[in-house]
Amino acid sequence: MKLLAIIQLTFRESWAKKTFVAFFGLSTLVCLLFIFALNLDIVDGLKSSVSLFGKEIPELVEIRELVLGIESALAVFLFTGGLFMSLFATSGLITSFLRSGNIELIISKPLSRFQILLGRYLGAVSIVAFNVFYLVLFSWLILSIKTGIWNWGFLLSGIMIVLTFAILYALMTFLSVVINSAAFSLMITYAILFFSPLLLQRDRIYALLSGKIYGVLLDGLYYFLPKTTELADITRLLVQGSAVTSWMALWSSILFGIFMFGVSSYIFSRKNF
Amino acid sequence: MNPIETNDLTKYYSGGKVQALEGVNLQVGGAQIFSLLGPNGAGKTTLMKILLGVCFPTRGSARILGKEISSHWSHSRVGYLAENHRFPDFLNAWQVLYYYGKMSGVDSVTLKERIPRLLDQVKLENWEKERIKKFSKGMLQRLGIAQALINDPDILFLDEPTDGIDPIGRREVRDLLLTLKNQGKTIFLNSHLLSEVERVSDEVAILKNGRLIQKGRVEEFIAVKDTYEIKIPGAAEDLFPFCQQLNIELHQKNGKYLIEVDDAQHLNHFIDRLREKDMIIQAIIPHKITLEDFFIEVIEEKEGNSN
Repeated sequence: MKLLAIIQLTFRESWAKKTFVAFFGLSTLVCLLFIFALNLDIVDGLKSSVSLFGKEIPELVEIRELVLGIESALAVFLFTGGLFMSLFATSGLITSFLRSGNIELIISKPLSRFQILLGRYLGAVSIVAFNVFYLVLFSWLILSIKTGIWNWGFLLSGIMIVLTFAILYALMTFLSVVINSAAFSLMITYAILFFSPLLLQRDRIYALLSGKIYGVLLDGLYYFLPKTTELADITRLLVQGSAVTSWMALWSSILFGIFMFGVSSYIFSRKNF
Repeated sequence: MNPIETNDLTKYYSGGKVQALEGVNLQVGGAQIFSLLGPNGAGKTTLMKILLGVCFPTRGSARILGKEISSHWSHSRVGYLAENHRFPDFLNAWQVLYYYGKMSGVDSVTLKERIPRLLDQVKLENWEKERIKKFSKGMLQRLGIAQALINDPDILFLDEPTDGIDPIGRREVRDLLLTLKNQGKTIFLNSHLLSEVERVSDEVAILKNGRLIQKGRVEEFIAVKDTYEIKIPGAAEDLFPFCQQLNIELHQKNGKYLIEVDDAQHLNHFIDRLREKDMIIQAIIPHKITLEDFFIEVIEEKEGNSN
């Protein structure tokens, strides 16, 4: 119950800062676009015409491919743009909580410091999860009802996006606790987010460098840091119903998130305010 | 068992360069108002923060209601008003009490019953739905006090509770503290307003440079033994030769005449002689200094010693 109060308070802060409203509004807009932009005429159980934003889709494109294509595009858009926005919108939630005059009152409550940080972290993740699932679920319903194609894999994209956000937000929590600056935490998290494709190409970078140490360093960074590029690929494959050949990127990124949150909790639990 | 006990509580900042507290041993009894006094930087807020787990001691230990302060369960029966506290300004008064009450582990049903009563108690009943960003400093302070009471605590830690509150509000806070004391609560107070402290406190402790230099009952500190203020109309200067004859020291201090006697018998003898001379006695009052006088005296004495 006490933990829930912190989560609710985080929701309220997000609502007051209009972050939640902006998220919700944007998600609703995307859903409305699908409702009105995608027109599909079915005659005797077969499609007679499909139009998107008023433009006819050629007969050559199979309806299933069309749905998978739209859902994949939406998933990728959500993965990149959604994550970018979510991190931006929630970047100040930890630091605002740690403000002098506020944190003392919270710590004086019968809550462990781990619970306090966890409550705030879960609050931020819940805000993003609520909005991501709202968009994913409703766009999935609209597309499925209109086309009759129920691609359950698309729902998994919501889980992947929220999971990736939770991993990156653990890093942001760590940075916020250590340096207590929302802007700096955000910049570093963005850097890690965009560093991922570079590290995926580490063999090419390594070829340009001399010295074995660079290879070890790049490998170390690759395995330690969250692998957002591969997570996006896994998301796309899940939406398209294709087989995922390796889950290493997922579990190693989850481990990174757990490690980061664990270290954050440890530092927070020993911090003087 | 005392509700608050500290043992050799020591705190250094900046890797040992700044000494905030040094070997503080303190016992605070129950159902009383205890005030911690000291000049700026004496370590008052640090001591309160350590007791509430907001910062950690470098050495020593402390217990609140028998529970070690290292456990967050020691906060279960505690209310706290921090100095310069800040509530999320997007909340209204009712919501502040609701969420902070929830964090204290109070259930919703109790909160719905308790919040209006507390808002009424701190005179914010007409502001419950108003966003607190519109509140004045005094209103925020009163809301802070209500917040500290939301879990019906046994011990109340208040850091500068009357800061920013007008004189009428201060009196209301004072009355509230006395009511809470009468309900059996222990109140641990940090305040610079010594006149306020003197009016409400049962016991005070003085900290200087992180060390506990005095602790005791207020009345013991402010009463001056065998010294009385005497009020006589008319030519009081006649008193000087009269007192000399009786071997009584007479001082004039701040327009008051103070006599120093050996004991009660000596005092009565003095009164008899006055009456024999047909002098009108308006009043004889045991002389008391203010807590502020005592505080300054103690601090200066310690400064003298340290020099």
